[in-house]
Amino acid sequence: MPATRSVREILLTAAPLGLAVFVFGVSFGVLAIAARFPGWAAVLMSALVFAGSAQFAALGVITAGGSAVTAVLAGGLLNLRYIATGIAVARSLPGGPLVRALLGQLVVDESYAMAAGAGEPGRPDRRTLLVTGASLYTVWVLGTLIGTLLGPVLGNPTRLGLDAAFPALFTALLWPMLSGRHAVRCAIGGALVALVLAPFTPPGVPLAGAALLGLWLAR
Amino acid sequence: MAGSLALALVLGLAGLSFVMRAIGPFLPNIPAAIMQRTTGLAPALLAALVAIQLTGPNGLLHLDVKVPAVILAALLSALRLPLIVCVVAGALLAALLRAVFHL
Repeated sequence: MPATRSVREILLTAAPLGLAVFVFGVSFGVLAIAARFPGWAAVLMSALVFAGSAQFAALGVITAGGSAVTAVLAGGLLNLRYIATGIAVARSLPGGPLVRALLGQLVVDESYAMAAGAGEPGRPDRRTLLVTGASLYTVWVLGTLIGTLLGPVLGNPTRLGLDAAFPALFTALLWPMLSGRHAVRCAIGGALVALVLAPFTPPGVPLAGAALLGLWLAR
Repeated sequence: MAGSLALALVLGLAGLSFVMRAIGPFLPNIPAAIMQRTTGLAPALLAALVAIQLTGPNGLLHLDVKVPAVILAALLSALRLPLIVCVVAGALLAALLRAVFHL
């Protein structure tokens, strides 16, 4: 039975995560500038979307020459998992449906993981969720802002290997998910569908095809 | 990208994300069968994103310094190193190979 922790204890535990999220936010800002995405829009995106993988996916689509609609869909598809985490945290949130829906915006992978670890099985710890979520939100937006200011100073992104940062990021996000046979099958199928469709279809269609295959293969 | 288009993109993605995060707290009783299906989405989509990043403008596989970057990221990720370490190491390897071999 985990004891209730103070805000200070929660913040100390979340500090290494906060540092990582901050650096991540900086790199998002830098890459947005490199992709010729307006700096203010990158900061606004971090403030309103608050989801690293979805934001990087949207930016990756733009960098690859895809449309804004495709970018929104790619980011949105990656955020579908937040429906699941939203259901998981629903009973931990206070207030009526509207307040819960607003507080639910503080759920990201990291805050959910911390809260699930601190709470009882099936009931993530409310205070850990909200304190971690709010502090990660702050450093994410701040990091993005600093990244957009650094972007023009850093210059040519390929020289720094920043174009390789996207596939490296998606690989590092994917790897821990490959724990079961279903996930491996979905990943291999998704990559194959994307590679087969890419030469013949506009950007975005390969991703949509992979997503459909993922839905179909997951059982 | 033009400002108005960027704003539309941000608001579109923000709206989708808001709804996805709000569904659970609003309607906590979604059938498990539906949730089960969505578990395949993230791996399929991420693998597709990696694959797309490795293709050239013609949509065909274009093998360059991004390939060793991806392999290094997978390796470090398998060693359970933090995400940002994997990403930075991949980017640095690509930059290094490019500087040394002029790829």
